[in-house]
Amino acid sequence: MQCVHKAGRYMAAGVSVVGCFLFYLLPGPAAAHIIQGAQGGFGSGFAHPLTGPDHFLAMFAVGLWGAQMGGRQVWTLPVAFPLIMVVGGVIGMLGVPLPAIEIGVALSILALGLAIALAWRPAEWIALILIAYFALCHGYAHGAELPLSADPADYAIGFVLATGMIHLFGIGVGLGLNKPMHGRLSRALGALIGVGGIYFLVPALLAA
Amino acid sequence: MALGLLGVIAIALLAKENPFARWILSAVFAPERLLAQFGLGVACGLVSARVSGAALLLFGLGIVAGSVGQDWLLWVLYNVPEGPTHLFLTGPIAFLAIGLALIPGARLLPWLLPLAAIVAGAMLSLAIMLTDPSLHDPAFTWTPVLAAFWIVAAVSLTLQAFRHGWFPIFGRILGSWLVAIGLLYGGASLMPILRPPPPPTDTSQESTRGAEMNRTIPALPAPQQPEFPGGIERPPPP
Repeated sequence: MQCVHKAGRYMAAGVSVVGCFLFYLLPGPAAAHIIQGAQGGFGSGFAHPLTGPDHFLAMFAVGLWGAQMGGRQVWTLPVAFPLIMVVGGVIGMLGVPLPAIEIGVALSILALGLAIALAWRPAEWIALILIAYFALCHGYAHGAELPLSADPADYAIGFVLATGMIHLFGIGVGLGLNKPMHGRLSRALGALIGVGGIYFLVPALLAA
Repeated sequence: MALGLLGVIAIALLAKENPFARWILSAVFAPERLLAQFGLGVACGLVSARVSGAALLLFGLGIVAGSVGQDWLLWVLYNVPEGPTHLFLTGPIAFLAIGLALIPGARLLPWLLPLAAIVAGAMLSLAIMLTDPSLHDPAFTWTPVLAAFWIVAAVSLTLQAFRHGWFPIFGRILGSWLVAIGLLYGGASLMPILRPPPPPTDTSQESTRGAEMNRTIPALPAPQQPEFPGGIERPPPP
């Protein structure tokens, strides 16, 4: 009886998470990297990663992948991501041109989704190098727009807080889905994230 | 915690009419201060009760030191570009100190936390002085100090009451957020405020024709400049 209850709970959790992703994959403008005009305080920065599906999927995937790999990677990947994102952010703020950033952002979603779907467990340094590249792309895209916001300081606080919370959400979901059905639910989520990556990659390639 | 939440709700309700309560909400509970105090509370919650108590004491000493040496601190921070417009970057410096103490993990935290607590205390002292709207009214000095101690103590006691294996992981991740926020906040503050680029010029025929038509309209005379420096107009003739 308990097993049935547990299975029901996992199914409900899985359905709700998949529902969230399907909602995100509904057609709409990819607006995670656009600040329009002089707006943006704490609330705007906090809402930015949560309402931009590309950023949300990438951050969620980082947490999910770390939880799937287990061990030190549970925390090394989410700790490294914001720190390297800052480097990209500063490069963006300085206005140093970096080509194909949007393609890099879309590729990050696709690669992370595939890594989770295939349950790829590389050496820690390989995972960190991959994460570093993706973090640079995301940080650059956001750093370039940060000085445009009305209150860059509060915007940065809200933005990083929301990003970290998505990481924690990813870790929580990953740790919860690792055991039931031998981690297949987690891998299925990874495949879904990969599909999201293709959804963002095609227009980015067409625009390039 | 429940009492604390009730207090926050009471202040929020009072803020509609009471300017002091409104100031508490806008300055004492500003995201910049709350986050630094929350981080310090988490760090205190991850160490033993003795180290946590010492850190709280050093936090208080930092506040006193910041108050005594505020002229020197302001003189140092005045040289940072754009520093004066962002509370002399007190927020980012506190974030960096606490974040760098949290990231290395539980083994180094007891050694790094005292230093972070002193820095956070000194920066809080400066921030209190800079956001005080009164002429040294003690209520505007003591309320933020008490609120800071309350937040740090509430967070650390809560964490110590419910010890879980994943708390150190959360501490490291929080540390990385704080460092990232400190660097981004500082970086964004140092950057001049940029304006969005102008829209691209349309080179189609219509716009060219429009430009020609505009050229035929005589230009308006330039606005009259005041004859005296400082904008003082010439007095009318007697």
